[in-house]
Amino acid sequence: MSSRSEAAPAEPWGSEGLLSWLTTTDHKRIGILYIVTSFAFFLVGVTEASLMRWQLAQPQNAVLGPEQYNQMFTMHGTTMIFLFLMPMLTGLGNYVVPLMLGARDMAFPRLNGFGYWLFLLSGLFLYSSFLFSAAPDGGWFAYVPMTDRAYSPGRNIDFWVLGVQLLGVSSIAASVNFVVTILRLRAPGMTMNRMPMFAWTVLVTAFLILFAFPSLTAAASLLMLDRFLGTLFYSAPAGGDPLLWQHLFWAFGHPEVYILILPAMGIISEIVPVFSGKPLFGYIFVAWSSVAIAFLGFIVWAHHMFATGLPAAVQAFFALTSMIIAVPTAVKIFNWIATMWGGRIRLQPPMMFAIGFIALFIFGGMTGISVAVVPFDWQVTDTYYVVGHFHYVLFGGAVFGMFGGLHYWFPKMTGRLLSERLGHVQFWLLFIGFNLTFMPLHLLGLMGMPRRIFTYLPNLGWDIPNLVSALGVPFIVLSVLVFLYNVSVSLRRGALAGNDPWNAVTLEWLASSPPAPYNFAEIPTVRGRRPLYDLKHPDRPDAAPRA
Amino acid sequence: MSTMGATPARAGAAGEQDPSRTGMLVFIMSEAVLFTNLIAAYLYLRFSAVHWFPGDVLPLYLGLPAANTIILLSSSIPVHWATLSIQRGNRRNLIIGLALTFIMGAIFIGGQAYEWTHAGFTPQGSVFGSTFFTLTGFHGAHVLVGLTFLAVTLVRALRGRFTAEHHFAVQAAGWYWHFVDAVWVFLFGSLYLL
Repeated sequence: MSSRSEAAPAEPWGSEGLLSWLTTTDHKRIGILYIVTSFAFFLVGVTEASLMRWQLAQPQNAVLGPEQYNQMFTMHGTTMIFLFLMPMLTGLGNYVVPLMLGARDMAFPRLNGFGYWLFLLSGLFLYSSFLFSAAPDGGWFAYVPMTDRAYSPGRNIDFWVLGVQLLGVSSIAASVNFVVTILRLRAPGMTMNRMPMFAWTVLVTAFLILFAFPSLTAAASLLMLDRFLGTLFYSAPAGGDPLLWQHLFWAFGHPEVYILILPAMGIISEIVPVFSGKPLFGYIFVAWSSVAIAFLGFIVWAHHMFATGLPAAVQAFFALTSMIIAVPTAVKIFNWIATMWGGRIRLQPPMMFAIGFIALFIFGGMTGISVAVVPFDWQVTDTYYVVGHFHYVLFGGAVFGMFGGLHYWFPKMTGRLLSERLGHVQFWLLFIGFNLTFMPLHLLGLMGMPRRIFTYLPNLGWDIPNLVSALGVPFIVLSVLVFLYNVSVSLRRGALAGNDPWNAVTLEWLASSPPAPYNFAEIPTVRGRRPLYDLKHPDRPDAAPRA
Repeated sequence: MSTMGATPARAGAAGEQDPSRTGMLVFIMSEAVLFTNLIAAYLYLRFSAVHWFPGDVLPLYLGLPAANTIILLSSSIPVHWATLSIQRGNRRNLIIGLALTFIMGAIFIGGQAYEWTHAGFTPQGSVFGSTFFTLTGFHGAHVLVGLTFLAVTLVRALRGRFTAEHHFAVQAAGWYWHFVDAVWVFLFGSLYLL
């Protein structure tokens, strides 16, 4: 490979100081800003969750009062979705996608910076509510009429409704940038059919954001007008309709689930082939299943509303579309398994997280199908069963995918390897802690424990599952601390990574680690789906797929 | 590595066009989804309502909005003409076209302002009032953005910044203006005629 790769890595931060970071338009630096900021919000979200599990560890506990508890679960959900997972995946995409495509930067570097700073300011704005003792307390889906001025007279919901609109603008800016970058800035020869799977999922996700966030903007603007100007959109007595909020919100909210999971699936689709030593099995199916999931994601929203008394035909429609989503999702899972089949599997940390993702996501997907069954949903709606289900897909899925991606690309970003030993420790702590915390929630839900209650009476059969769930939390916290320790030590003393520590196949591993500001001295020409493999094996390149 | 030497340093496999074109189209698409949601909310409320706003008040207002509609839709013609002109390198017609569009858009906003201040109902009085002021307000805000876009483009045109080869901002302003017009067709149809 290139001779530059064997040299000591350049300083990842450059030597230009703070001001250069505040003014940067380099996609790699903006990516790192996104990743670091969203990880900080992750730590806040974990803290909020830990307080909630502590409060519920025993019946009639008094760690949090009811108002505080409402603020905790609202800010936990809002933080994990809008301030952690979305910007984290945007950050990874920002860093990696232009490199994978053989581009020098994102299409609109200044718009990219704007998106980051707006995200940061929105997050700080949302959290400034704590300074006024007015943190949002209406749940992350802020149902009316509870969030109307009449029932939430404080400033709490005002912070939420403005904060999510600002975050929407930030997300739209980032998505326009991703779409144009991926459609327009690919290296010569990289057809859509040869694009790395992570780029595919980031592209589909960007379109999902562009089509879904306007629903949130509409829902939130109407709520804002109801609260600030006294309009009547959601006011049932005056002829408005609270269900309008649910329709608009979930028309955003369900695609949002795929906005969070698809990039993680893309990361898994990069890691699994590299650590199995094989090309991705069923490339076309894996790529187009993302498109199918995205499309179906827009026609399932009312499965969040089965308990609202929709007409039977409507319920049947949404139940069926929801179940059909299992098909493209299973296509991905079988293709990952087929990729591993007969491969030379290296169980290094990125692969451990990828396998963890697959196992946990299958479980979360199965419980997802169960709540698509209308009568069963009536039984468990708004119970801890639902909380268990979506934590398996969003934590077991998206968070495990994110950690896999961070372990995978850390050497590229910093030029140094993370400790594999600590990576395995982190994985097992997280895997055990996660299952301890979230598996009992399914039982609690089946036993009728509603979500969002701040305490409960003893002898309802809920004591032991809640205690077990709380006992999982220290494992998760410890796992996160191990990761932070691993990062801080490896940044200074980790072994030098070189360009291509994993024997990978995509173009980001052709650039130096960390890459130069211009990424590539010369833009490579792409002849197949594994461009770096082709360069490493000029004698036996991948057969170029028919376009 | 030998394969890399001969390739040009320029990326952009997907075509010669300015990536900004794709960006602008994608952005407008997302804006269109926003209005789709707002109109859907209006239709949802309207057709699930037991009482709707008494229809006999509205025809009084139809004259002004109809005239306004004609002005706004016609204003797409000069901005298109402006784009065609600069494509042929005609800067004078570019300036005239942009200025005409701006004036027509400003007249539309003036008409809207008159309508808002003389409406016989309020946003707080009925769900119809809420939807009327919100939908026309969202659209009016977009017209104001379009007017700003046109004004900036006009100033740049007066300074001679555009050529037959280099004038994407003119085209983008035109696209945005056409979009604002198209949205109005749906708003006029659903708010005034339906």
